[in-house]
Amino acid sequence: MVFSGIPFLYYFLPWMLLTYFIAPKSLKNAVLLLASLIFYGWGEPKYLIFMVLAILQGYFFGLLIEKHRNTGRSRLYLTASVVLSLGLLCYCKYADFFIANFNAVTGLSLPLLNIALPIGISFYTFQIISYTVDVYRGMAAQRNLVDLAAYIAMFPQLIAGPIVRYSDIADSLVNRSHTISAAAEGARRFVLGLGKKVLIANTLGELCGLFKASDEKSVLFFWLYAAAYTMHIYFDFSGYSDMAIGLGRVLGFRFMENFNYPYISGSITEFWRRWHISLGSWFRDYLYIPLGGNRVTKWRWYLNIFIVWMSTGLWHGAAWNFAMWGLMFALLLVIEKQWLLKPLEKAGPVKHIYVMLTVMLSFVLFDAVNISDAAATVAALFGGGNYPAVSPEALYYLRSYGLILIIAAIGCTPLAAKAVKAIGQKETGKKVLSVAEPVFLALLLMVCTAYLVDGSFNPFLYFRF
Amino acid sequence: MKERTKNIITLLLIGGMIFGLALWCVLKPADDTSEAERRPLAQMPEISIDTLLSGKFTSDFEEYTADQFPLREGFRSIKAYAAYYLLRQGDNNGVYIEDGFASKIEYPLNEDSLDRAAAVFKKVYDKYLAESSVYFSIIPDKNAFMAKQNGYPALDYDRLTDIMRENTPFMEYIPIDHLLELEDYYRTDTHWRQEKILDVASCIGEAMGADISGEYTQAVVDKPFYGVYCGQAALPLPAETMYYLMSDTLADCRVYDHETGKYMGVYDMEKAAGHDSYEIFLSGSKSLLTIENPNCNTGKELIVFRDSFGGSVIPLMLEGYSTVTVADIRYISSDVLGRFVDFHGQDALFLYSTLVLNNSVTLK
Repeated sequence: MVFSGIPFLYYFLPWMLLTYFIAPKSLKNAVLLLASLIFYGWGEPKYLIFMVLAILQGYFFGLLIEKHRNTGRSRLYLTASVVLSLGLLCYCKYADFFIANFNAVTGLSLPLLNIALPIGISFYTFQIISYTVDVYRGMAAQRNLVDLAAYIAMFPQLIAGPIVRYSDIADSLVNRSHTISAAAEGARRFVLGLGKKVLIANTLGELCGLFKASDEKSVLFFWLYAAAYTMHIYFDFSGYSDMAIGLGRVLGFRFMENFNYPYISGSITEFWRRWHISLGSWFRDYLYIPLGGNRVTKWRWYLNIFIVWMSTGLWHGAAWNFAMWGLMFALLLVIEKQWLLKPLEKAGPVKHIYVMLTVMLSFVLFDAVNISDAAATVAALFGGGNYPAVSPEALYYLRSYGLILIIAAIGCTPLAAKAVKAIGQKETGKKVLSVAEPVFLALLLMVCTAYLVDGSFNPFLYFRF
Repeated sequence: MKERTKNIITLLLIGGMIFGLALWCVLKPADDTSEAERRPLAQMPEISIDTLLSGKFTSDFEEYTADQFPLREGFRSIKAYAAYYLLRQGDNNGVYIEDGFASKIEYPLNEDSLDRAAAVFKKVYDKYLAESSVYFSIIPDKNAFMAKQNGYPALDYDRLTDIMRENTPFMEYIPIDHLLELEDYYRTDTHWRQEKILDVASCIGEAMGADISGEYTQAVVDKPFYGVYCGQAALPLPAETMYYLMSDTLADCRVYDHETGKYMGVYDMEKAAGHDSYEIFLSGSKSLLTIENPNCNTGKELIVFRDSFGGSVIPLMLEGYSTVTVADIRYISSDVLGRFVDFHGQDALFLYSTLVLNNSVTLK
């Protein structure tokens, strides 16, 4: 089930919320767990077993790690839990990738397993690992299985993050308050996220689909696609994160922010501090720092960065273009840290052009079927491939999607938020916003519903992770 | 206004919408069909262990919830207004409107589809028509007169014609595109207007050596005509008046429907009053019809392979033929036609719109 769908919005969510708020405090986590299992099992009930097994091993190993803290056994149990978690992830997500590459290298033809990827496995696996590692590092283990399961399976962040750490919501799991202001804040965030996803991301996704289906591409069309996909992926993912954070707020939780206007960054280093923050910080805390971070020899530091970014790339998908995508950022980050960061600080608008161009090309690689497809697209952007500069089709789509692209470009910056804040600082503006904001949100929800009723184009990009 | 009041209003509005529509979703009886889209709506899927585990129930349920959503047509209109007027998109679900004419973008040119159509025609020719004089004409869709001219993606119609002609050397091509203009088509529908295509019928008849001239009077369909794009565009397009041409010959003609085994008239007034008034012409989607013209003593016979455009032009050719057989090989396989039709060297005409040729997967 996806947030941006009628079954979720008008069948699951209202009845879930009603049950949740009617339930006594002692049963709220049980209701949340049950709802999360229904939410998860809705499309692919068979994958519930993977999640249940993952939760059980996380729960029991957490207890064992705590019980044997400061002994060798504790490390053994942690290793076992991490291996089990990653083993399940590797089996489901990477088995065929490994087999295909093994076949390519050896010339053998071992049969592929053709395993369908369970939704959200990349997210809940990382949550379980962070939980057991944190328990190993001294955090108290959760003794109540329902509470821990409610955390791991919690539907708002289950399938697309943010990757919520147990330590961040441990207190809220046991004792949280539900207030009108939190619920309103959550509802506001949810509807804005829905708008980002349904009105902008889906519409730009259509444009990308039209580009891919076209037989009459032009250089302009390639640029249109690259720009549209770059915006699409941001609004798709950040919209979903907004919805997750908003729902969490309604339910009394406060999840970490996942995006902070990444496209206004002045360097790739800054970009990764603003993009998919929960993933970046997870890799930093649970892989980069345990590897030694930058407090090692230069060559070991390079290796650490290589490992972290190769992992980041492959986390997004089991294909070489994802690995290349990660390694491209590794290289850029090393170059920036060694030579480029200081000159970039003084580079004015050029630094933003550098970041956006780099990010756009990286997402072309990200979206490519394979590396040669990516190379062909990048070449076409710069005049390779004998495409005409402009085609009537590209001009039409530029006209048809131009306003959405402009809205999206503005939406990638904090301009709108700053404007609303500025208006709200004046007394008259505050009064206007008091009425305008709820009405705007209701209208936005209505238009989003209209798009969902009318359209069938509603894929969710991050499902495959 | 205090922050708390704003929060309460926010929750009341958003919560009211979500909970109100949720309740409505549950209580609303399911509709059978969508008048605007002219299609059956998805119904509540069957729940069983198998459908649940296979995911069929959930995918069907999602379709059901979108199809049966309360105020569905109203929401579709909101979406259309938002796409056209708020986000300034050129089309909504591919439907665009220029100077009051609505059409659906047909793009790109599908050369494989053209090859496939030509291969089907060749198969029919080889199997049934080796003894016949065979003709072929291509009906340009509305986009030919309004897409490229207004900056919308458009088929390369010259290329389409060239490919079809190259692939069908066994047929004599009759060009008709020079006789047509945008006003010959309905504003809200795909099809051409019968009262505007007498010259097209004459041109085809002349090329086939048949005298099809006749005297017609123009009659009006009582019901306002809302074409197929009214529903698809989800915008309030004005109704049109539908006309049909009558003559003594047409009044005397009998149409045998091989599906029902019954005779009927050239114009189906019952269908004219139904969902799609354009079905007045030869009763719309019919796989195989035989039209007998008792007023023609030439003994000349014709078999027409056609799509829905043919329904309105074929009546205008009846003056020149004693018998006209009308086959729609989208609904009947050409392989079995011989069981129902006696092919004995009668003239044959393949009359297809560019829309069907570019999407020929439906031709059997």
